[in-house]
Amino acid sequence: MNPLVDQTQEILNELSGPGGLRHLFFMLFPFFLLLELPFNTLVLPGVLRWFVRRQFNRPQHSLYQPKVSCIITCYSEGMDVQKTLLSLCEQTYPGHIEMIPVVDGATLNQPTLHAVRDFRVDPFLYPRRYLRPIAKWQRGGRVSSLNAGLAHSSGEIVMALDGDTSFDNNMVSAIVRHFEDPTVPAVAGSLRVRNAWSSMVAAMQALEYLLSIHMSKIGLAEWNLVNNISGAFGAFRRSFLIKIGGWNTHTAEDLDITLRIKSYFGRHDLRIPFEPEAIGHTDAPTTLKQFLMQRLRWDGDLYFLYVRKHSHSINPTLLGWRSFLMMLVSGFFFQLVLPFIIFGYTLVALFILPVSTLLILSSLVYLLYLMITAILFGGLLLIVSDRPRQDLRLGLLVPIYPLFMLLMRCWSAVAMLNEMFRRGHEESGMAPWWVLRKATRF
Amino acid sequence: MPTSSPRIAILGHVTSSFGSLELERFANLDSLLAVPAFDVLLLDMPGASAGRLLRKLRIETSYRFSLIYCCRDLDGWCEALGDGAPPSDIQDVTPLWNLWEARFSLFDSARASDRFESRVLSWMWFRSSAEVHALRDPEVPQHYRYPLLEVLAGDEQVNTFVWLTLMAEQDWLEEGVLVDRVRLCSSCGSGRLNYVDVCPECQALDISRQPSLHCFTCGHVGAQENFLKDGLLLCPNCLNRLRHIGSDYDRPLENYRCRSCQAFFVDADVQARCLDCGLAHAPDKLRVREIRHYRLTEAGRLRCRQGFSNELGGGNHFGRLNLLGGKDFYELLTWQIQIVRRYKLPDFSLIGLRFVNLSDTLLRLGEHRGHAFVDSLVDRLQETVRETDRCSRSSEEFLWLMLPHTGAEGLLSVKRRLAQVAELFSGPELSQISLRVVSFTAPQDLLEQEDGELLLARLASELA
Repeated sequence: MNPLVDQTQEILNELSGPGGLRHLFFMLFPFFLLLELPFNTLVLPGVLRWFVRRQFNRPQHSLYQPKVSCIITCYSEGMDVQKTLLSLCEQTYPGHIEMIPVVDGATLNQPTLHAVRDFRVDPFLYPRRYLRPIAKWQRGGRVSSLNAGLAHSSGEIVMALDGDTSFDNNMVSAIVRHFEDPTVPAVAGSLRVRNAWSSMVAAMQALEYLLSIHMSKIGLAEWNLVNNISGAFGAFRRSFLIKIGGWNTHTAEDLDITLRIKSYFGRHDLRIPFEPEAIGHTDAPTTLKQFLMQRLRWDGDLYFLYVRKHSHSINPTLLGWRSFLMMLVSGFFFQLVLPFIIFGYTLVALFILPVSTLLILSSLVYLLYLMITAILFGGLLLIVSDRPRQDLRLGLLVPIYPLFMLLMRCWSAVAMLNEMFRRGHEESGMAPWWVLRKATRF
Repeated sequence: MPTSSPRIAILGHVTSSFGSLELERFANLDSLLAVPAFDVLLLDMPGASAGRLLRKLRIETSYRFSLIYCCRDLDGWCEALGDGAPPSDIQDVTPLWNLWEARFSLFDSARASDRFESRVLSWMWFRSSAEVHALRDPEVPQHYRYPLLEVLAGDEQVNTFVWLTLMAEQDWLEEGVLVDRVRLCSSCGSGRLNYVDVCPECQALDISRQPSLHCFTCGHVGAQENFLKDGLLLCPNCLNRLRHIGSDYDRPLENYRCRSCQAFFVDADVQARCLDCGLAHAPDKLRVREIRHYRLTEAGRLRCRQGFSNELGGGNHFGRLNLLGGKDFYELLTWQIQIVRRYKLPDFSLIGLRFVNLSDTLLRLGEHRGHAFVDSLVDRLQETVRETDRCSRSSEEFLWLMLPHTGAEGLLSVKRRLAQVAELFSGPELSQISLRVVSFTAPQDLLEQEDGELLLARLASELA
């Protein structure tokens, strides 16, 4: 008989025997308990709660229409900036919108500067949209663009947007309604990948954005636990932003400002909602190399911010107990420690377990993950998605998604090591070296 | 004969010095008109008041043709009616005035001033470089007026534009700088027009731009207001939500809607509505008029000289040579060339004469002696010219003789006789004049494709 079939028989016998289930439980323990349980216990009920709440929401007509300033950080996007500007002009929001494209390194990025200058706002078609471009001739990085834009903005609400991201036309009205509540200092928006079918890597990211970002933020926001306000798409109350001193140098200014807003949670009753209806469409990296480099930066920045820069402010007095625990679990453990456990567990399994056992075990693990992904994807299509027909195609990728996630976890560990030993954040492409050099070292 | 220096007066309040010259000064127009007319006037006042005063002075018969200079800035009226700024040394006025005086005496004695046409032509002739100046004036319906023609017309009713066109056709005046191009109502001639966009269906004025949307899902195109529901864009046809421009919908056209007939259209019609008579035109039905300054032509200048000296001594100077106007001469020449091209016979010849420095010398000799010289010149020329020959002058210095039925030998004898003309220039004051001759015989010298005008240009360049 085939040795593989024998082996399977043996393992199945063992599992069906006394203590077999316990055996299986211990084998899968690290994955299942540490990775999936916190996620599912928080996110899925949150999504359900959001869904139910939305069903009973009465449409409300508010007279709250503050002026909104959109700071659009531009670098080398070229004509794509015009798409962004046009999508902002097209907003159905009845109030005033001020668009402030800030072209960083305008001397070098002439095509982008020209694209901004050539854009005309027809005052008849778009009576309440204004364009106030800023050209920063010398490159200063994202943070300096945002702060320059903030200084020149006049709206009550300030949005930080990316030059290669365009928006659905209900974005501003969806975001603004949250600010009617004075306890809201910031709102996170959702991002979709607009070049999903340009490559396999981009398509995988499209699915990842939907399942791991869009859906998890809906769930987390229900418990006021939004972990990050995306740098490509976030909205802030201007007065609050001014009070905390705007954006801070270093890489990952979005996570940095989220943490700094959250450090008021312990003393004030504040909340950061996530608005799933406010959708931005952005370009994802299309090649594997670009993608890995982006993640090397993102995941390394996590370590930099949590461990080096903000370790002192992660305490319950500042954050409040709920955010503190969440930060411990999701920030530290989930994002910093778990990748090492998974990475290590995979390595150990590869070396210790016999091939057949490894195969069977990993296919069981795979099936488990596949099941979870399928459930999430089903939930996405049925409950969450605003474009179910378009998202249905991504279902083709569900079978490979667990492998993609495993790869991501392992790469995350590499990124963390890169930050730990090589101070990778100092190589950030988000700001030039002459700016980073002057920044406080952590 | 002209007196040696003119009597000069200053009109104005502020004292300004003009060298050692003692000038009579008047504070206002009335005191000036009370005394006998001066030869030259200087207006020492700001441009605007100088312009107003010039208008009054040019209507007065005593100062109609006089040299009047404006000492300060010039406005449009000063440029049109005055003689510009005075020379920096006031003594330099004398030669200018001598010329003026010599010509004016011819004109005055010819009593040509009773005809509007001669008044205008001579006014320009008196000055070495003068033009009929077009002046922009928002108060007149045509936007432009010719102040000189208005003041010289006096009580006569003259349509200045028609008159100028007529003068240009007759070759007395030539078109100068193009100042502007105006469009006038074809019914009343007013230039006060309002351009409006109107509905192409019913010509109604009440139209408005209408933003429209195009749904990608079902292809529906309609007004934006029909898509907006509670702050969301919903296609009224397929009820799909339109979220993002470029992927769900776009803005297909810039459309207009007529509020009176509800027509939906892309391009509005344009109408020109006359603000004076109220008539509405299509813009291409308007009268287009080019506004130009006008100068005296060579022919006009000759006419002044001949016209007035005719009465004087019966001497018709070059006029006795049966001079033809430039255009007529070209046509005659072209016709001759065509005949020779087609039938090879009869041959004809053309002689070009250039009297180098003629006009300068005439100026130096003064009007009277100059005319006497021209007289004798013409006498000599007439001896060489037969009755069938035709002459023309393309400028003061150039004289053209066309000799029909004259071949190479005939031409040679004519040239021999012409050489005797040059003997005239032997006098000490005339030595600067020299005669250059060029000749041409058809069909031998004829070039391909050449017509009268080209031929003259070619020969003139040989004379240069």
